[in-house]
Amino acid sequence: MSAGRRAAVLLVWLALAVAAGAQIAHTRFTADLSAFLPAAPDARQRLLTEQLQGGVAARTLLAGIEGGDAAARAAASHALAAALRAGGLFEQVNNGESAAWAAVGQWVVEHRYALSPAVDAQRFGPDGLRDAIDETVALLGTPAGSLVKRLLDRDPTGETQRIAEASLGADAGPALHDGAWATADGARALLMLVARADGADLDAQARAIAAVQTTFDAVTARAAPVAEATGTRAAASSPLRLLLSGAPHFAVDSRARIESEVRQLALAGALLIGSVLWLAFGSVTALGAVILPVAAGVAVGVAVVGQVFGSVHGITLGFGVTLIGEAVDYAIYYLVQARAWAPAGWRTWLRKGWPTLRLGLLTSVCGFAALGFSGLPGLAQLGVFSLAGLVAAAATTRFVLPVLMPDGTPGSGLRRWLGLATGRALRALPPWRHVITGIGVVAALWLVSQRAALWEDNLGSLSPVPAEALALDAELRAELSATDAAALVVVQAADAESALQRAEAAGARLDPLVADGRLSGYDSAARLLPSAATQARRRAALPEAAQLQAALAEATAAGPLAPARLAPFVADVQTARTAPPLTPESIAATPAAPIVQSLLWQRPGGGWATLLPLHTRADAIDVDAVQAVMNGLEGVQVVQIGAELRRLYRHFLDEALTQALTGAAGVVLLMAIWLRSARRLAAVCLPLLLAVLLTVTGLRIAQVPLGILHLVGLLLVVAVGSNYALFFDLLTEAGTPPDPDTLASLAIANLTTVLSFGLIAQSSIPVLAAIGRVVAPGALLALLLAAAYAPRRAALPPLGRPGDAAAPPAPV
Amino acid sequence: MRAPPVDTGPPRAPLRRQRARALAALGLGLLLALPAWALDLPAVMALMAQRRDGEARFTEQRFVSVLDQTLQSSGVLRFRAPDRFERRTELPHVESMRVDGDTLVLQRGERQRRLALDAVPALGALVGALRGTLSGDAAALQQAFDVAVAGRADQWTLTLTPRSARLQGSVRELRLSGQRADLRTIELWLPDGDRSLMQIAPTRPLPAGALPAVDAAASGPAAPASTPERRGS
Repeated sequence: MSAGRRAAVLLVWLALAVAAGAQIAHTRFTADLSAFLPAAPDARQRLLTEQLQGGVAARTLLAGIEGGDAAARAAASHALAAALRAGGLFEQVNNGESAAWAAVGQWVVEHRYALSPAVDAQRFGPDGLRDAIDETVALLGTPAGSLVKRLLDRDPTGETQRIAEASLGADAGPALHDGAWATADGARALLMLVARADGADLDAQARAIAAVQTTFDAVTARAAPVAEATGTRAAASSPLRLLLSGAPHFAVDSRARIESEVRQLALAGALLIGSVLWLAFGSVTALGAVILPVAAGVAVGVAVVGQVFGSVHGITLGFGVTLIGEAVDYAIYYLVQARAWAPAGWRTWLRKGWPTLRLGLLTSVCGFAALGFSGLPGLAQLGVFSLAGLVAAAATTRFVLPVLMPDGTPGSGLRRWLGLATGRALRALPPWRHVITGIGVVAALWLVSQRAALWEDNLGSLSPVPAEALALDAELRAELSATDAAALVVVQAADAESALQRAEAAGARLDPLVADGRLSGYDSAARLLPSAATQARRRAALPEAAQLQAALAEATAAGPLAPARLAPFVADVQTARTAPPLTPESIAATPAAPIVQSLLWQRPGGGWATLLPLHTRADAIDVDAVQAVMNGLEGVQVVQIGAELRRLYRHFLDEALTQALTGAAGVVLLMAIWLRSARRLAAVCLPLLLAVLLTVTGLRIAQVPLGILHLVGLLLVVAVGSNYALFFDLLTEAGTPPDPDTLASLAIANLTTVLSFGLIAQSSIPVLAAIGRVVAPGALLALLLAAAYAPRRAALPPLGRPGDAAAPPAPV
Repeated sequence: MRAPPVDTGPPRAPLRRQRARALAALGLGLLLALPAWALDLPAVMALMAQRRDGEARFTEQRFVSVLDQTLQSSGVLRFRAPDRFERRTELPHVESMRVDGDTLVLQRGERQRRLALDAVPALGALVGALRGTLSGDAAALQQAFDVAVAGRADQWTLTLTPRSARLQGSVRELRLSGQRADLRTIELWLPDGDRSLMQIAPTRPLPAGALPAVDAAASGPAAPASTPERRGS
């Protein structure tokens, strides 16, 4: 190689490295949850995920207080709520205290003639007034009368009462202990908090969560001495604990966890390189050469993901450790083989070593390319990252290492020992092949009998949130009840006014279901923000003062209420006649805004959507009945959230299955092209098939249902395992015994794969752990099975001298 | 991942509280209407446990500070053990309130409303006390109230005072008086000094079919049996 050409290669490589670095500098790193929320394929599902990611849900924290005694928990709940309301970080703090609703209640009273469903032309005639006043008066002298009594002069027709009735679901809220929400058994006080900051602003959400914790600590620290002084032993002996859950908590918590895990995985990856280099060369001189393909792979991977996706997820970086595991192998093959073929070892390597390494690269590419097409942005990132990284690492090995290290590196480390040990271990395997075949057949039959229970049907498995946290969340949600509608009516329209009109039409059809008990209630934004048309109709029903006074005189004749005292009512009606209509904009700064905005929003892509969550006291909502009454309403759909999410998951599972099969077919096709022999292809595929089979069996025995991520892992087992099978095939064809260096390379390649995937198997991020737990054992099995089924003719004959092998293949 | 809540359901609480008061009142009216024997509480409970149903006429007067007149009403009360009762007001307006199990149905003209008792804690407490009395379960009666017994067997009084501060915010005191097995008056004192007095004519057994179950009264077709839906996923 001429000096000019060497300089050119290095310059190109450096230019690419600088470009990658520049791209990385502009890349945003994220750790939010949405990457593994599917990009929903249908419009209805998109609407749901939109609401999950951007709605009030993204700002809602659920809290529980445990420990101490019931009185201490309730006291802590009251003190915490008071402090948080004063703190201003939360727009709602609900713990069962009516104080939380005072502002909304006041607002409803002010706007009752725009909001009351009872307002129509008859309402303010003499008969309507008489009837309405009678109904209101009938509540006096009962415990319900106190509120009516306070408003009697302003609201003798009981409009406030009517609005309350309509909005009041028949659902049970949480029980109250000492005036604070608690679980039915009273063992846990409950709160629901809605942060003011935008759900996407994780720093602000983190501050809000920290504020809850520090406020709670302060409150309990103040309360503890009092409890001790008054001798309430339970409170003193068992300290109060705060439990937190909800979307913002998950988001903030998993971001922190992902960040710390990525650091740990990077450290572990560095240790892995160090140990492998020590095994392979027994010196640190090779370090510089090995780092180049690894660094190039990681840098290009990050840069390409940043370019394609606009941001790089923390989980993708964590997955990078497996890339390190493979890129290290490329460098080791080159350095060992170029040394064996020295002088000018790089020339021989390019002819003999590179083609097998390229085949290994291509099979891996098949595996990761399938991932790149995933509808889950997180998985697609992993695929693209690995794809770009492996190509960059292989290219660096192919072009840059020959320039820098034309004859590889000296030092043999523990290679000879490792090669001999590997040879002995692998030679022991072939006699067991009939036993293994038997196990495989039994496993296959057993799996067929277990096929109903084999698959996971739950999106939860894709969440970066640990299962225990999800369980706590489900518990708190159920205890707070009514926060999780199992079904909803989804209304879409071009503008807010049409959306509200459609919501009113849908509500009118739901009312009979509520009256006959098939639903216990439903929520609607139109209750606090009626459509402009409805508001106009109600306003038109309000009579002028003189007319109202005349009707009132007639209606109250001989009744218990003197018309003279109802002047405030007449005045309020006149005010309502000229009040500006309520609009989404005009209510934005009012106490009604949080409630309305949780149900009605402008969609990012244009248009408006509003939800009517349905409530029932039965176990399940009669969706068919709801569907039947909704027939014919434009822009209105009934959605069962659980069923919808399961359908969504099913879609991605099917997609993953297709991708895994396509990827595996790609691997087989590559091998077929390389081998050009059906017999050899079959011999290579058998151990792969068995490795997949036994890995699935292992998962089933461990009671792990097969999900999308396991399919991804199995595909990687095929992609990686194919290299081991090819290795033994090539040995057979070459007819020469493998030298210890070659066997050591094989062992090291397997070790780095098993270790790097083993590392992510330990991760507390379920996405990484699931892939790692499949690939680590699967890759080891693939190697052992490939050795066990190596054709007899040349299966691991006695070891020859180093350098004898014509073209040691490159298992990666 | 598991779906975060789509509905945060906030608007109910203030209304629920308001509603609680309305229902508490109705519940009390019903509570007061029902027959009782007693002198000491265990004896009353033992007697009550034997009576399975009953029907009586009532007249009610309410004394409300902001009104110029006393409010008058009258109607029929019905009970069937263990958990069904109805107060049907005939004058001045026809309206009714039925409780069956944990469901409450209010009807006035065309308007029917259906509520869960446990959605309204105060009402739940009152209904619990009522059912406790009617079914002879002293523990249920005393769950929300302290009960004092006074008088003789032929002229007795039960005085119920709410145990919790929350219930005390809705009800000051409840006085039930009766003669032997018959509950004759129910007097309810509210915290603001307003008061209602219900007088009950002697009871007679309930005619068959007089008190249909709430569900049977529902106009809709029976809901098909549906499998429990796992909430969220």
